Amino acid sequence: MSIELLTGILLLCILVAFALGAPVGLALAGIAMGVGYMTWGDGIFNVIPTTVEATFFSFILLAIPLYIYMGQLLTKSGIGDAMFNASQMVLGKVRGSLAISVICVCSMIGAMVGIIGAGIMTSGSIALRPMLERGYNKRLALGVIMAGGGLGILIPPSIPMIMFAASTQNSVGRMFLAAMVPALITVVLLIAYVVVSCRLNPDRAPITKADFDNQQLSPMAKMRVARDGFLSILLIVVVLGSIISGIATPTESGAIGVVGAILLAIVFKRFKLDMFRAAGLQTGVLVSVAMWIILGASVFSNFHLLMGVQAMVADFTDTLDLPPIMIIIMFQVIMLLLGFIIDEFIIVLMCAPLFTPIAVSLGYDPIWFGVLMIINILIAVQTPPYGFALFYLKGIAPPEVGMGEIYKSVTPFILLNLTVLIICMVFPELVLWLPNLVMN
Amino acid sequence: MFTQVLQRLCRSIDFVVMLAGYFASFLMPFLAAIVAYEVFSRYFLNHPTIWAFDLSLFLFGYIAALGGAYAQQKKAHINVDILYLKVSPHTRRVFNLFSYSLAIFFLVLVVKLGFEKYEEAIEFDYRTQSEWAPPMFHFWIMMCVASVLFIAQFSRDMVAEIYHLVTGNPLIAPENDDNDEY
Amino acid sequence: ADVSAAEHNWRFGNLYGRGTAFGEIYEDLAKNIETMSDGRIAVQVLYSGEGVGTSGLLGATKSGLITMGAPFQSMHAGELPAGIVEIGLPGGTDDPDELYSLFHEKGWDKVLEKAYGSQGLVWLEPYIQPPVYVLTKEPINSVADFEGLKIRAPGAYGKFLRNLGASPVSLAWSEIYTSLATGVIDGSIGSNMIDHRDGNHVEVAKYMYKLPLAGAQVLPIVVNRSAWKKLPEDLQKVVREATVIHAKEQLEKSRQWESEAVAEMEAKGLQWSPEPSEADKAAWAEAGAGLWDEYSAQDKYSKQLIDILKQQ
Ligand code: NA
Ligand code: NA
Repeated sequence: MSIELLTGILLLCILVAFALGAPVGLALAGIAMGVGYMTWGDGIFNVIPTTVEATFFSFILLAIPLYIYMGQLLTKSGIGDAMFNASQMVLGKVRGSLAISVICVCSMIGAMVGIIGAGIMTSGSIALRPMLERGYNKRLALGVIMAGGGLGILIPPSIPMIMFAASTQNSVGRMFLAAMVPALITVVLLIAYVVVSCRLNPDRAPITKADFDNQQLSPMAKMRVARDGFLSILLIVVVLGSIISGIATPTESGAIGVVGAILLAIVFKRFKLDMFRAAGLQTGVLVSVAMWIILGASVFSNFHLLMGVQAMVADFTDTLDLPPIMIIIMFQVIMLLLGFIIDEFIIVLMCAPLFTPIAVSLGYDPIWFGVLMIINILIAVQTPPYGFALFYLKGIAPPEVGMGEIYKSVTPFILLNLTVLIICMVFPELVLWLPNLVMN
Repeated sequence: MFTQVLQRLCRSIDFVVMLAGYFASFLMPFLAAIVAYEVFSRYFLNHPTIWAFDLSLFLFGYIAALGGAYAQQKKAHINVDILYLKVSPHTRRVFNLFSYSLAIFFLVLVVKLGFEKYEEAIEFDYRTQSEWAPPMFHFWIMMCVASVLFIAQFSRDMVAEIYHLVTGNPLIAPENDDNDEY
Repeated sequence: ADVSAAEHNWRFGNLYGRGTAFGEIYEDLAKNIETMSDGRIAVQVLYSGEGVGTSGLLGATKSGLITMGAPFQSMHAGELPAGIVEIGLPGGTDDPDELYSLFHEKGWDKVLEKAYGSQGLVWLEPYIQPPVYVLTKEPINSVADFEGLKIRAPGAYGKFLRNLGASPVSLAWSEIYTSLATGVIDGSIGSNMIDHRDGNHVEVAKYMYKLPLAGAQVLPIVVNRSAWKKLPEDLQKVVREATVIHAKEQLEKSRQWESEAVAEMEAKGLQWSPEPSEADKAAWAEAGAGLWDEYSAQDKYSKQLIDILKQQ
């Protein structure tokens, strides 16, 4: 069977299984093994143990449980509320203030974590409940968390950037610096979108009694909100500081965050054994959900790669004869399409070494191309039907929020990311200015 | 009588799966503590441990794998529910029978291959690649146990769906639990 | 490779990325097998991350998921301990002629064929890659400066550095850069100079120590036994010959690339720590020798290899 036909059959099977509502990870793995058995024989089953080892034994992914745990403790100990109460007091009656705070808090969290899941899980478990409680439009609330959480891979440190730099022999430092301006543009655009859309549709972000309560507190109570907020932000400083000062790696800083969250809960006199137990249980479930998806998706893509899908992509780009910028655009389109079925790490591992040499031979800067790839991946993880960010968000959303609603909620934010992608494509100096300034 | 047997079977599976889920979640604080201790030991005592790296990865694997069945019990696994939420509960049960079979097919393979890997690990005394080099065999036993529990939970759910399809009544009346809290 | 026309369809996994210099050498090996067998064997090359993770390469070759593999033994220290001795213990020789004689005349080949054979693998012509060096943030003026340094070094290399008073740290490869930058670690080894260059480590740590941790590294090419048995004798001979050509290419190219990598890093600010004294060299050798007995006691094939070494 040709790889093109195989890819078509796999896509068809996924479409059917997803439509029937099958659990995403197990369905992907089941389809790969079923189709694999028919095309390859039972030898393909051996992909399971190697994939289990690679996913369940990955130090990079260890950041997922640690950051989810930290996020759960923040929520359940009331620290998350404290953070948002404080920002609410500062931003006052600005419409959509809570959503703006989400983006600000997410940017800070993004500067701590290097993967997308941990960012969404942490910020989602802190921010979603307060927003829904205050009557925010559900789509705005969900979308802003996804967009903010996604900053985890756009704001350094970023695991996909490290993987890109490593697989194309480029400087990680340059890569990190190059992403700074695009990340800043993204943050500004996100905030601008929230402000404008809330001004145009005031009912998307109602100003509630809670907002007034925050404003009309007694000076003593205001002091208390400020102190709690300050202590909570101090936690972010501690986590970030532990990375910058060389105490911990980005992965390990999640554990520092857990310890900090427990200490804060004790300071706030909200530490109860029951809260602690509930945070652990919820973390356990969310970690299992994430890891069984990652395992299933990896079994699927490993099978697809062993069958030679990477050669298909390479042949396809080789045979076309296009002007340079069209090739760059085509690469972006291919990655966006790949993003429909595979996850962000695999896209980098597969496409970075395939595409970057071609981009360089056409006269483009590899770092610029890498940043485009990262923004592209940011979009890919948020696009249906298969997008990791979507699944993470579904994992923390209230049960009545369906996948359709989540798909709709991300649309404006994907368009914003697409805008940033195009801006960076048209104005390469936005990407290259900072690294050239600092490192040359 | 037959109904009671089925109910008892389902409740027993629910109980064992719940225990495994609780066990996995109890490991979570230990995981965080081990990673935090490694940071402390390396930075403040200037003495990195040789065991924290492997031990934290093992705990991560245990938590991630063993919680899978419990997450299914709580219907926490993610699906694309655009069509799923639009069809009747009856159709949804038929869909579930298909989905769960596909999942069980994969999980059976995990058990089979995991057991082979366990035997290999015992025969050749497989260890991790680190200086500490703890044995690997227990990881594969755990993987088999986790998958067997997962299969049991899916089978139990299929039995309940079939019962409901055939008799028109739920096998076990749904409890009123808040889905957000596990 | 035209998959449908060949009698034998092989998948060959290696640890390097698509389009990298080393990746091309493995591509050449695959092409040589195809042309020398007149297309009777087709070889699909799988690069880093393409279907099999870096630490799963040996297991995947055993199970037949891939037919042929170029694993890095340190990744499989717990699976096949003799590989750690094979790759070269700290303090070993870097002379290709001496290594050739060790592997082909003094009997290491027989031991390794058995060691890999016991796990269902056929061991083919090994090849030499450049030595392992340690890169540090501060200059090492004497061996005593290693005392208390936190250095990312897995397995045997970690033990070696511990013998010198350093504290080995376990980190994922992708964490090295940021950990060096922020000071989580004071230094790191790379699998060779090219690895340090590719990781851009010199941006965040400048000083390379002159003495290598292992003189040279010897890596194997392994083939799944049942796939091997399916080959008629003439094709087995073809594959063996192709791996001999591959070993030569590795030796020539890797020397050249190593010096290019060093030159590139020097242009980016790499500096060498001061020339080690005789006492430093002695302490270095002693730290390495301490490991022989330890490894010998762990595994029967390791013992056989080390016994041969001791007879030299
Ligand atoms: Na980040
Ligand atoms: Na997608």
